[in-house]
Amino acid sequence: MNYISAISIEMKKIRRSKILLLLLIPVLMMWIPSLVNSDMIFDVRDIPITPERNFFIQGFMGMAWFMLPASVVICTVLLTRTELSHRGIVKMLSLPVSRTKLFLAKYTVLVFLIFVQMAFTVLAYFICAAAASRMHGCDLVLSPAYVLGSTFRIYASALPMAAVFWMLSVLIPSPIFSVGIGLASIVPSVLVINTEFWYAYPVSYPFYFLMVEYGRAAEGVYETGIDWIPLIPAALLITAAALLIACIRFQRSQKV
Amino acid sequence: MTFGIEIKKLKRTGYLPACLGAAALAALFPAVNMAARSETFTVMPGAPLDIVTDASWQVMAMLNVMLLICGACLMYHIEYADSGIQKMSSLPVRPGQIFFGKAAVTALVMAVSLVLETSALSLCADRWFPGFEPDIREIFIRAGFQWITLLPTGVLMLLIASLCRNMWVSLGTGIILVFTLSVLPTDNPAAAFLPFCSPFQTFSSASGQGLIPAFIAVCLTESLCFGIAELICQKLRRYFE
Repeated sequence: MNYISAISIEMKKIRRSKILLLLLIPVLMMWIPSLVNSDMIFDVRDIPITPERNFFIQGFMGMAWFMLPASVVICTVLLTRTELSHRGIVKMLSLPVSRTKLFLAKYTVLVFLIFVQMAFTVLAYFICAAAASRMHGCDLVLSPAYVLGSTFRIYASALPMAAVFWMLSVLIPSPIFSVGIGLASIVPSVLVINTEFWYAYPVSYPFYFLMVEYGRAAEGVYETGIDWIPLIPAALLITAAALLIACIRFQRSQKV
Repeated sequence: MTFGIEIKKLKRTGYLPACLGAAALAALFPAVNMAARSETFTVMPGAPLDIVTDASWQVMAMLNVMLLICGACLMYHIEYADSGIQKMSSLPVRPGQIFFGKAAVTALVMAVSLVLETSALSLCADRWFPGFEPDIREIFIRAGFQWITLLPTGVLMLLIASLCRNMWVSLGTGIILVFTLSVLPTDNPAAAFLPFCSPFQTFSSASGQGLIPAFIAVCLTESLCFGIAELICQKLRRYFE
């Protein structure tokens, strides 16, 4: 079995899990209130920002801070728990399938699910921004290159976090601890990005990238440049370490 | 009897250590917050306990709500994972009894962690504000108020978890509710009474607006309604399974 078919099998396993619905609803919950309250974007409270950027960043704020990490936690629960019923994982592990391949296929599915959610978000953004433009009679849609670029950066910055949460869910058999640690780690990320050690805390990466966009759009709110130097090595190291530890644990596990 | 059984079921899931851990984390937060920014808070006017609570309660309430979500999902996950709930329904036990047993465990755990958290707030006020007298009665009144505001969230989350066979659906629904109600515009006063919003209310702001009796009445009614909804769902469920 090659890697592609391992992924397609993992996709088949989650086909009836309603996960896409669970990923879509928060996107709607995020953009519909910001469309309804879109007159508030003109009230910039002395921050030098244009209304269209304000609309984009205010909308993405809840996503990058809370919903993206929480969605990753939900997806890890899905990936580990869906096979526990009827001892599916035991049957899977008894087949002549490389466990490393199985493990990487599951991580790929996790990465893909986050991608789907970000795609939903961008799509909903364009629809809502177009609707808000019609409501207020001015152009509020940002250029697709800018929107896609910054969303892609936020997406890519979520991958180390996904690796860490995935490691937690493989290492800790009791869901309350793996989910609880995941959800509790979201709370301090607002504080962490204001310290100088933010790059050691992968949960804060998406929010950091959004705040940098905010800083670029509005002078003086936050930094305007991304510190690639501590970020890239730290992110690569964290991702590699998390995947390696989780993979070793997954190889040895009788029951995930 | 159900209460004892529910406690026994949770024995090897790590529920109680996780709750104590979350309560300890929440109790630690005001201490860290005060230690890091004590100059900002000590010069503020007002009652010391209110200042400390206002500075930290949002984060602490978030931790409490997350704990409730995880706890409710876990409580029903252990029932659904190996069809435990089917075995329970073949016993001469009313289906509602399981729910109320779980609700009682949740309520007890919440009460313990809230007393811990309010004591921590009181200790912080004592440590950073000279002349502040910690008062046991005050601690219990505040913990009791926060307990009542947390109750509808706990019962609603258990109701959601009891309806969803898969843990990620109940977890996802809970998370979506937290997220949705946190992005609701804050200018609507009625929104503060909703479950998932009411835990973020502090005692001082509620008493400042004279809303304490309203909060107690509304939150208790909501909890009761969710309990009745669960009983109705149990009845209806028979026709669908």
